[in-house]
Amino acid sequence: MNLVVVVRQVPDLIEPLEVSASGTALDYETASFVVNETDDHALEQALLLKESGGGTVTVVALDYGEVDNTLYTAAAKGADRIVKIARADDTPPSPAASAAAYAQAIQPLGPELVLVGIQAHDELDGVVPPLLAARLGMPYVGVIRGVKRGPEPGAVSVCKEFPGAVMARLSVRLPAVLGILGAEQPPRYVPVSRIRAAMKTAKFDEVAGAAPPPASRVEVCRLYPPPSGARAEMLSGTESELAARIAEILAEKGLLK
Amino acid sequence: MDYARPIMWNVPHWAEIALYAMIPLVLIAFFAGVVWRVRKWSIGQAEPGTLAPGGQLLRALAPLRLAELVKTILFQSRLAGDGFSIVMHQAIFWGMVVLFLGTALATIDQDVAHLVFDAQVLRGGFYRFFELALDVFGIALIVGVGMAAYRRYVVRPKRLEATRAGISLWDGFPFLAVLFLIAVTGFVAEGLRLAEGFHIESQAAVAATRGPEARRASLERMGLRERLRMGAERQEAELDRIARGEPVFPAAAWAPVGFALAKVFHPLSVGSIRALHQVTWWLHALLAFGLIVAVPLTKAFHLISSPANMLLRNPAPAGRLPVVAESGVDTVRDLAWRQLVQLDACTWCGKCQEACPGHNIGFPLSPRDLVQAIGAELLRTPVRANGQTRSLHGEVVRPEQLWACCTCRACEEVCPVQIQHPRLVVDLRRRLVDQGQVDEGLQEALMNLQRYGNSFGQSPRKRADWTKPLDFKLKDARKEEVEYLWFVGDYASYDQRAQEVTRALAKVLHAAGVDVGVLFEKEQNAGNDVRRTGEEGLFSMLREKNLKELANARFRKLLTSDPHTYNTLKNEYPSVGDPPNGDDPLAGKPVLHYAELLDELLRQGKLPLARPVDRTITYHDPCYLGRFNGVYEAPRRVLRALGVELVEMPRHGPDSFCCGAGGGRIWMKDTPGIDERPAENRVREALRLPGVECLVVACPKDLVMFQDAVKTVGAEARLRVADLAELVNEAIATSSEPSTLVETSHDRTG
Ligand code: SF4
Ligand code: SF4
Repeated sequence: MNLVVVVRQVPDLIEPLEVSASGTALDYETASFVVNETDDHALEQALLLKESGGGTVTVVALDYGEVDNTLYTAAAKGADRIVKIARADDTPPSPAASAAAYAQAIQPLGPELVLVGIQAHDELDGVVPPLLAARLGMPYVGVIRGVKRGPEPGAVSVCKEFPGAVMARLSVRLPAVLGILGAEQPPRYVPVSRIRAAMKTAKFDEVAGAAPPPASRVEVCRLYPPPSGARAEMLSGTESELAARIAEILAEKGLLK
Repeated sequence: MDYARPIMWNVPHWAEIALYAMIPLVLIAFFAGVVWRVRKWSIGQAEPGTLAPGGQLLRALAPLRLAELVKTILFQSRLAGDGFSIVMHQAIFWGMVVLFLGTALATIDQDVAHLVFDAQVLRGGFYRFFELALDVFGIALIVGVGMAAYRRYVVRPKRLEATRAGISLWDGFPFLAVLFLIAVTGFVAEGLRLAEGFHIESQAAVAATRGPEARRASLERMGLRERLRMGAERQEAELDRIARGEPVFPAAAWAPVGFALAKVFHPLSVGSIRALHQVTWWLHALLAFGLIVAVPLTKAFHLISSPANMLLRNPAPAGRLPVVAESGVDTVRDLAWRQLVQLDACTWCGKCQEACPGHNIGFPLSPRDLVQAIGAELLRTPVRANGQTRSLHGEVVRPEQLWACCTCRACEEVCPVQIQHPRLVVDLRRRLVDQGQVDEGLQEALMNLQRYGNSFGQSPRKRADWTKPLDFKLKDARKEEVEYLWFVGDYASYDQRAQEVTRALAKVLHAAGVDVGVLFEKEQNAGNDVRRTGEEGLFSMLREKNLKELANARFRKLLTSDPHTYNTLKNEYPSVGDPPNGDDPLAGKPVLHYAELLDELLRQGKLPLARPVDRTITYHDPCYLGRFNGVYEAPRRVLRALGVELVEMPRHGPDSFCCGAGGGRIWMKDTPGIDERPAENRVREALRLPGVECLVVACPKDLVMFQDAVKTVGAEARLRVADLAELVNEAIATSSEPSTLVETSHDRTG
């Protein structure tokens, strides 16, 4: 099976995020990047499919952030081919532009199945996977937890999650784009020595980015951290002072008689 | 009159020839067996950075090493602490040695002295002594074997109990039985020989009533001349001696056991005595031959492999883990040759299992069974690779066993033949890690370490946040020169409770005027435990990063909070190899754990101790400080100087019981179905000490583990867990500074 996985970089939430001077976007200068978690699941799912019945896994990524690390890790995990899409500027493009770039890189690969994380946490509404499907002219199913081969040739069986913890098993005819929420098992651990070996041997196919699509019709007017602290009272003091203050508050609210 | 040992008494000539014909066969079988075993060692890997086996052997034969080995063997000194075991081993060992030497001496006596020179070594007083010695040590052997059987089949201590299919307590039975029978048949043959002597004497005495000539004639009639195997001249003299009424075997009374048995056999007829003697003589010989042939094929091979293992042991420090292949061990062929020798050296004494915290609390781990199972696999593996060597993972060793180990080294410490179990565990873990088979908790920790350099998944920028509440500034070792570069470590930096200790230590160092600095966010996890989870590549990466920072800093000594960090910085960070790398930023720089530094400050009178700490406490030896690096006394000297009353737990010093955090276990999930966690077991041990109110630790991981365990066993009100640095801080703190420790004891009384 010819499998393609889209892997994106997102800002690492371990450091506080900052809004850029424009006030409409994140300040990517101060952010550090990690692989998007659901994309990591998409890669794991692709590897599991390959291991269960052969095929090739091609990883496609846009060149920004710490993408090389992510790609070497993917190679160490067992990705067969890596396509890196050139990008002039070290930030993620808009969802529409991303989808266009991925589609242009993926089209010539002739994939049977494209797996992509259901959402990146710096992305509006998780629109990249369906936009990508539209551009590739393939059907799209999202919120997938687990993909299996079969039931008949030219199809896969997927587990789709609905609100209220309802699961459905669907048969999807290929080719198709799947928005992955979780792989059948958590992403595997890849030891550093294998990543280091991949750094020496793995080759990336570098391709040009796509022409930017017409401007999106959704525009970000203002990006800001949630207003905090207005109602919160931060307590401080020794343990007994704290306890006394908490008791007082509870009494004030009529919760303590 | 001089007399000598009777030679081949009552042994027909054909039997003598048969016996001698068998000797070369026995020796060939024995050496073939030994070669078969030793060749198995050759399938192992060379160890980078150490000498080849030949060179090892040469070095091992250096007088000092040899003397140490001889001492170990002669006094079985690695068994110290187990009286029963020492007596049992000494009895069997010395019994076998003396009986063997006795037999060898007798052979020299008859085959060299007698055959070649028609003279004998075993004569007169020396012969009497020989007889006595053989009897005494024969008894020793029987007693030793009896003790061993008693222990195995009556007492049945758990450590000897089989926990694996395919290994049974009865495996050792044939060996014990044969030893026992050899001793018994030896005595019986001796008794029968002496009994025949009595018969000859009484017959001769009857004849003597008809005069001395008749006595002489009766001796001739009894065929005594043919039975005395010696030159004609000596034969004549011997006959004369007996004809004078002297005993046939004058040294009989010097063999008390044989003599007593002779009295028992005396009533039998001469014919039966002779027949029985021949039968027992053969039995004795065949059993002894059988034993010799069986040595290389059975557990008794440890007579050879254990000393070999001790001679060939790696003299590197215990805290330096060797690496043969980063990707670890899959089959026995991937092990280092030295490890194969170790597998063969195991005596299955079970002491490692008894000491193992994993085993003690019901984890699926026994270091003994691990060694035995892999050792059995070695014997099944042909020397020539045939491409189908079975993986050790799965049927031989299960992952749960490997992950249960906290690399505490208790097993290695007690193993009488110096087997390195933790090394074996880590080698096997490396393969699991290479295959991505790690537990969820461990995976998270390793990924955090890859990305952030700490296992907490916290921002590296927050690493030095613990310093913020201090009312003085710590020096930045990246910017200015310091005497001590303090490598703080993950737990001491990020864990909230441990941070209190780290600050207490900072205050103490500040008060003592120590010139100390830290690397702030440039420090990363040192990797001691990472290495022991089997993630060798990650360890190398962390080591490289830290060494780079250390190379940029100017300092004279390294100080650590965490004994794990201490171990790796001290033993695994300096470049090894010949010659040492000139750029090594650690060359010539001592590494100190803070307990050692406090001890030093104390000695120099630099610790401004203001008030005695009036408390009854016990101290837990951290594995990586104590067993791995031998630091036992420094923390105790500091504690005593504080004025505390130190009560030792039964398991202390080298016998300390691990808190369960080591080897990356602190990151892994609890194993379901265990009886209690190691830390709980340890806390209960402290709780059993009368009057002890505080469990003092010198390791941030211990602090975290025990604090948790004190809660889970519901002993928060009775036992406080505190760090050595906190007690010192309490002793030097001015009265204006409230001590958390004082507060707690207040709470408890009030
Ligand atoms: S190192 Fe400790 S936990 Fe591991 S096998 Fe040895 S005694 Fe058991
Ligand atoms: S490994 Fe050592 S301690 Fe353990 S059973 Fe074997 S000889 Fe005894």
